[in-house]
Amino acid sequence: MALEDYRADCVSCSRCSYCKWIPFDHVKSLRFSRGCPSIEYSKFQAYSLGGRLSVALSLMEGRSGYSEALKDIVWKCQTDGACDVADKICRYNIEGLEVLHELRFRLVEEGQTLPRHMAVIDNLRKEHNTMLKPKAGRGKWAEGLDVKDLTREKAEVVFHAGCRFSYDAELHNIPRTALTLLHKAGVDIGIMGKGEMCCGGRVYDMGYREQFTECARNNIRAWTKAGVKTVVTSCADGYHAFKRLYPELGANFEVLHTVEFIDRLIKEGKIKFKKAVPMTVTYHDPCHLGRRGEPYVPWQGKRKKIFGQIPVWEPPKPRYNGAWGVYQPPRDVLKAIPGLELVEMERIREYAWCCGAGGGVIDAYPDFSLWTAAERIEEAKSTGAEAIVGACPWCERNFTDAVKAKDEKIKVYDVIELVQRAI
Amino acid sequence: MALSREAYRALEDIVGPENISEEPAILDSYAFQWLAETIRPGQSKFMPRPEAAVLPGSTEEVQAIVKTCNRYKIKVKPYSTGWYFYCAPQTEGVIQLDMRRMDRILEIDERNMFAVVEPYVIAATLQAEVMKLGLNCCVTGAGASCSPLASATSYHGAGPSSIFGGENNQNLLSLEWVMPNGDILRTGSLGSGLGWFCSEGPGPSLRGIVRGTLGAKGGLGVFTKCALKLFPWPGPAELPVEGTVPAYNSPLPDNLRAYSLAFPSWENYFEAYYKIYDNEIGYIAHRQFSMLGTELGTAFWMLYNDPTKTLDDIEEFTQKPEIKKLTEEMKIAFQIVLAGLTPRHLEYQEKVLDEILADTGGWKVAAMSQPAMERFTLLYLIRLGHKNLNFVYNGGWLGTFMQAGTPDYVKGYRHIAEEVTEPYQKKGLLVDCGVDAMMGPVGSMGGGGNCALEQFGYYDVADKESTDAVVSWTKDCVKGAIDKGFVPGKGSHYLAMGMTREQRQSSYASAPWLGMYRWQRKIKGIIDPKDIGDELYPTLDEPGK
Repeated sequence: MALEDYRADCVSCSRCSYCKWIPFDHVKSLRFSRGCPSIEYSKFQAYSLGGRLSVALSLMEGRSGYSEALKDIVWKCQTDGACDVADKICRYNIEGLEVLHELRFRLVEEGQTLPRHMAVIDNLRKEHNTMLKPKAGRGKWAEGLDVKDLTREKAEVVFHAGCRFSYDAELHNIPRTALTLLHKAGVDIGIMGKGEMCCGGRVYDMGYREQFTECARNNIRAWTKAGVKTVVTSCADGYHAFKRLYPELGANFEVLHTVEFIDRLIKEGKIKFKKAVPMTVTYHDPCHLGRRGEPYVPWQGKRKKIFGQIPVWEPPKPRYNGAWGVYQPPRDVLKAIPGLELVEMERIREYAWCCGAGGGVIDAYPDFSLWTAAERIEEAKSTGAEAIVGACPWCERNFTDAVKAKDEKIKVYDVIELVQRAI
Repeated sequence: MALSREAYRALEDIVGPENISEEPAILDSYAFQWLAETIRPGQSKFMPRPEAAVLPGSTEEVQAIVKTCNRYKIKVKPYSTGWYFYCAPQTEGVIQLDMRRMDRILEIDERNMFAVVEPYVIAATLQAEVMKLGLNCCVTGAGASCSPLASATSYHGAGPSSIFGGENNQNLLSLEWVMPNGDILRTGSLGSGLGWFCSEGPGPSLRGIVRGTLGAKGGLGVFTKCALKLFPWPGPAELPVEGTVPAYNSPLPDNLRAYSLAFPSWENYFEAYYKIYDNEIGYIAHRQFSMLGTELGTAFWMLYNDPTKTLDDIEEFTQKPEIKKLTEEMKIAFQIVLAGLTPRHLEYQEKVLDEILADTGGWKVAAMSQPAMERFTLLYLIRLGHKNLNFVYNGGWLGTFMQAGTPDYVKGYRHIAEEVTEPYQKKGLLVDCGVDAMMGPVGSMGGGGNCALEQFGYYDVADKESTDAVVSWTKDCVKGAIDKGFVPGKGSHYLAMGMTREQRQSSYASAPWLGMYRWQRKIKGIIDPKDIGDELYPTLDEPGK
């Protein structure tokens, strides 16, 4: 697809502003009613989904050209998909998030890039990670663990740590615990270790389609060679890439986030909790596990018009509107932990506020990224929770940094860390 | 015509460099508007591009901007949430004020039942906050995404709950107004320093001047704060919401009930309106679900409530026998919500409603009273958070006629709406959803007595022929209304947007109420001597000028 293929999506935006808010039915207060970090931070209309659709149209029609301002509009956005959910309350037939991606693809293809993103891409090309680190350090997180190396051995299940878990030493305990839990539960599991490659999901969101495809093809090839049937990850970004994007390239693996796998093992009685964790927590839905974590549905179709002027797809196009993401398993895991009380924030599930790290924002706009996280921390505090719990290393890193920057007392955990305490 | 550097710097000094822009891409996001394609050359989606977008954060900043515009003779166009082509500059040489930084609810006076809001407070957030105190606000027909201040001061103000809680132009109390000459005027009790509770005094009462017939649509200065009357909410402090996106529903307590009421004829239908007014029942009453057309709408609502389906499945739904039956049953129908302030109040309303139905031959549509549909209807009508489903077919929607008056007046125009619409649907130029795609409040002002119906036409905004057709249809609607002795209705306002100044003058001069336009010229001459407001405050030039 090309940007021009989405012209109808752009012109048929009714500029209703739904994209700026959480679905109105769920609005519980003025304070936590906004859904889009981008327009809340940058304020001008162009920084909303509706605004970006008009900017895309303006670009296609030659009304405006490339400029630093245009690049800022295009990239100062986490592509968290909240706009797409709210938008589809009323508009089934606008694919707003796809337009945002196509706009990025277009700019990248035409060399209109951000220097901070280029540093990430250069490192990905050379060192196979987005963390600006050397390839050699990739497997260090798993040192000392008794686990299969799937570059040499075979296993049914591969655990993909991802770039952030691999290189962020403060978070190493999380993938180590997840892997150990699954191993002890009898799962035939292994890792790629230092041979693991970036999932490519983050660079896809940044607009680098080619680099994503390269990462995906490498991973698919390596897993196939290792006899992998199931891919497990603790990273929401990785989950989205494997679940939603890889199948488009022909991948055919079962994809599970560790919260899903652990929820399954708890329900099968293979993980049992022995200790109470007396704590009140609130759960943050990572965008790429929730609304963007809907499973891929193969589809090809053609446009036709019915009832005179209703454009529809034949056969019906799959519906991606946030309904079918992973929302309940992490909550069920937390609720199964003795002594732990789960309280909800106002913006949850498909209309959760983003952590701020996605879409290349943490790389190019660190202040905006932290501002977004701090907004979520405020919401978490409003529940009275002692901790905000997530299921993604990017969320955890951003929340931890925001808490530190604001000198807040609220704790930040991954679901796995609380599971570990209860065992 | 770019702003002079001196003027730009003056504006920048007021709001700070982060709150002003003249970048083409940013400005085009302000020029882009729904309905622009119906009036702009080449069906462009872009209205005239503003010279700059400016985001003020306070009344003082707004005043300073307006004074600067007077100094440099720059036109200024403010908007709250910015939905509608009315919000955009009408000509070149205009700066756009985006009021989104002024987004506070300043006060909720629980005892006196009013709230004081800034322009970017939307109905959904105001309602959520006042519900915590057992109160509710009018969510206008424009829906939860729109600004109550904008509807109260500058445009329409009616919504489904207006029968109980009034419309926002009725509910407007005191007001803070930066007039086009840069003076700040505080109306009603606020003007005498006595708070926000009253619009008519002891300070100046200028509601008539502020609003004119249909509001100045941003053409007469900037309204920076206003107080709005609230009304009781007998439900929970927070709307309970269940269901899968997008078909959320609300399992509200039993003192809130929603029905779809159907009738054997239009005579019976409108007779029920009178009986509802006379007996003072109903918390919300609106002809809502017919907005998507009485032939296709029912299939859509059923589809919408199945989260596995999309619009692509609508043909399949129209073929289901139970939906065919329901479509027939719902053709002459409206929705009503009863709210019991006490158990006896609800019991009374139920009895009265049953009596009204018995007298008029009407009935409660059983399929719409099933728990899932009742919960959906309740949430839909209370919050109006799905209002923009009128764009669901293809992104192009235009509502015309909007005849408002007594039921006896309004019912006469139904035939015209259908006659004018039929050829366009049959030729496939507008969505063939049924010639009756009329929606409107059962009571468009507090206590009822007045109702409205608006006929919807759905065109594919990405299709040139269909877009041309909707313009032609609108013209036919206006002509049809005038020919049969009705006022031209809302469509005439849309068409006027595409006129030249000369054409507008000619149109005003031929209007039955041309005296109003002359008075508005005098008003504008006093409060906007430098002519910084745009054309949407209609004024008729003196003869010979």
